Amino acid sequence: MFRYILRRIGMLIPILFLVSVVVFLMLRLAKGDPAMAYLRLSNIPPTTEALEEARYLLGLDLPVWEQYLRWIGKALQGDFGVSWVTGNPVLGEILYYLPATLKLTAAALFLTLALSIPLGVLAALRKDGPIDHVTRAFAFVGVSMPSFWFAYLLIFVFAVTFKLLPPMGMGGVSHIIMPAMALALMSTAINIRFLRANMLENMHARSVLYARARGLSERRVIWGHVFRNSLVPVVTSIGMHLGELIGGAVVVEMVFAWPGVGRYAVMAIYNRDFPILQCFLLVMTSIFVLCNLLVDILYAWIDPRIRLQGDRS
Amino acid sequence: MRIFAALLLGLSLAAFCAAPALAAKTELTFSWPSNCGPLNPHLYSPNQMYAQAMVYEPLVHYGDDGSVVPWLAESFEISPDGTLYTFRLRPGVVFSDGEPFDAKAVKMNVDAVLLNAKRHSWLELINQIEGCEIVDDMTVRLKLKNPYYPILQELALIRPLRFLSPAAIPPDGNTSMGIAAPVGTGPWILAESKKGEYDVFVRNERYWGQKPALEKITVKVLPDPESRVIALQTGQIDLIYGAGGHSAAQIGLEAFVRLEREGRFSTGVSGPLSSRLLAVNSARGPTSELPVRLAIQHAVDKDLLNQAIFLGVEKQADFLFTPIMPYCDLGLKPFAYDRAKAEQILDEAGWTLAPGARVRAKDGRDLVVDFCFTGNDALHKAIAEALQGELAKIGMHLNLIGEESDSFLKRQKDGEFGMIFNDTWGAPYEPHAMVGSMRAPSHADYQAQVGLPMKSELDQKITQVLLTTDETTRQAMYRDILTTLHEQAVYLPLTYMTSVRAHNPKLQGVEFTPMRQIIPFERMRWAD
Repeated sequence: MFRYILRRIGMLIPILFLVSVVVFLMLRLAKGDPAMAYLRLSNIPPTTEALEEARYLLGLDLPVWEQYLRWIGKALQGDFGVSWVTGNPVLGEILYYLPATLKLTAAALFLTLALSIPLGVLAALRKDGPIDHVTRAFAFVGVSMPSFWFAYLLIFVFAVTFKLLPPMGMGGVSHIIMPAMALALMSTAINIRFLRANMLENMHARSVLYARARGLSERRVIWGHVFRNSLVPVVTSIGMHLGELIGGAVVVEMVFAWPGVGRYAVMAIYNRDFPILQCFLLVMTSIFVLCNLLVDILYAWIDPRIRLQGDRS
Repeated sequence: MRIFAALLLGLSLAAFCAAPALAAKTELTFSWPSNCGPLNPHLYSPNQMYAQAMVYEPLVHYGDDGSVVPWLAESFEISPDGTLYTFRLRPGVVFSDGEPFDAKAVKMNVDAVLLNAKRHSWLELINQIEGCEIVDDMTVRLKLKNPYYPILQELALIRPLRFLSPAAIPPDGNTSMGIAAPVGTGPWILAESKKGEYDVFVRNERYWGQKPALEKITVKVLPDPESRVIALQTGQIDLIYGAGGHSAAQIGLEAFVRLEREGRFSTGVSGPLSSRLLAVNSARGPTSELPVRLAIQHAVDKDLLNQAIFLGVEKQADFLFTPIMPYCDLGLKPFAYDRAKAEQILDEAGWTLAPGARVRAKDGRDLVVDFCFTGNDALHKAIAEALQGELAKIGMHLNLIGEESDSFLKRQKDGEFGMIFNDTWGAPYEPHAMVGSMRAPSHADYQAQVGLPMKSELDQKITQVLLTTDETTRQAMYRDILTTLHEQAVYLPLTYMTSVRAHNPKLQGVEFTPMRQIIPFERMRWAD
């Protein structure tokens, strides 16, 4: 188990290296001049001299590989440069806004699990019944509806019409309900369908038939065999959902004026604030990859087959 | 007796309950797309101009009628040769930290700005100041290199020449690397700032002028214009104020018109503040010919454009600057919308339409013009598409080039365009600063004009008009410059931009000022 974890952590390094190269190149492949963006954001008139000075200052006169080495060298020491808009160190800014996003993501993940597990199980147990139909319809709509649209619908109903919840900002529990719901919708819908399908599949497994033959109670068959086995793929999918939730937070934070790192990144995209975007993408990738690692470890712990394969290789 | 006592008790209870309701509200909640920044009066982004204007004040103020009036300076004198400006400072003014506003404070601020002069090179005022000297405790003198007349207009700007308390200026006198605290003489004090969430301003109790009726203004950080409208509708904010419609807008035009129709909120549209224009390149492609530029002027139905895209919120523009700007009411004849005339001009110039063709041609060249805009700016895109449709009717094809903003700016600078968006700057920059910038090759104006046969003559006149001390000569020269630009049709004015307001109807005194970045909170109050 320990070797498996070590091996997985070791794989993080090449992944992050690749991501850093791709992010760096992607921003530079886009049309437009970073020196021009820098001058625009600093409100400096873009005269030819100012452009040359900015190119020198930002190291844009160097070959791309040298620019990359300079950047990654500093980044490894925790220095991601300063924002072209605020002039503040980038990592500090990202870490300032990150907790709000993690709070929102955690709330949405909790909501996803709290809704999808009972609904998925119920839909499978009462297959083709009214609950199943309603759940399937919900899952269908949830997967199809964009989160920002659902967010505006929530605001229209709960904040504008009935005035039950605050429409925006961060504060008490009431502030987080709507953003978390908007963010959780798609993951919940996917998870319900996934769990339902798994449950139905496992109900016909030979192990379940054998359990029944052993005379186990229906309750033990369902919870001990069908449900537990159906949960294994769901745990893996949580890793995917975390990615979806962190990505979705970018849109949801804009709508609900949630002061998180997603909204901060959107402003950086509008401004073409390169240092922020590079740091944001790298930090988010790290979080995503780490979450997947955690899920994989959890998965290995639940399912001995994975662990053994990992140990053997 | 018992009834009387009960009545008395009831009445006093009622009075007690009613008392808080009777006191007028003194707090206001507003919103802005970002925090106000560190509020350094001598620097630019991320310092927000509306907030800099709340905390810091100028020597002279740009009045509602466009005239320059004394402010922190009680009076001023200009030497006959126009190079010495002597300001007598207003007595009794203190910064919000209690420091006196005197000649020493003024000199420290001017020197701090001059230390960073390169950064302010876009502003002629800073290039022209040779130095600042203290005449006595309450008098300062600015010495200029040349008799640059718009000095007073530029002193009224929100930045960089407003005044920070000497106690907040770093010991080396250089404010460009940061200030100790945002302390000014203005009616408001920045009391609290929470990154990504809000800024709080409170009334400056030491303010020298009429104290604001409001005591506290909370500015929430709301980047999304749609969320801002919801915030107003749900009472999270009391006021939406600022530009409507374009990319840096406070509110989308559809949402504004919806609020206007709903009638729940008090709404209003300002007068013209600046011009939304296209620069037409006189040095490149078919638009290097005057007849082609004139045909474009006659071919666009601006009224339709305004109704369809700006929903009537902006005003149709016929000239480079709105006639309400100083020296700009010239009585020039607008180019009327007349498609037949546009076609006739093109025919006479040899741009003819072959049978069955959709685009005119001359000497084997098609009448195709590159139209450059910011691709992700919905408003730019809508205008581009509308104009493409309009000009197709006279046999001209607009080649739409939508790019990200840096490429767009690069095209403005390099002159790689046939037509390109190039809005004017509004008061107090119009006309002098905008006209002055027409001499700089890094501006779209220069690039659009560089093909004109009289360009060098035009640039000389611009240099002269900024340095002449004679008012009559100045008027005549502006007439000359602006008439030439109008007749040469190097600009296609579309609309005059406006600001909009939407707020709780109980909020009164929400007025528009000529400088669109200023929000006059000090005039606002809640009705009882």
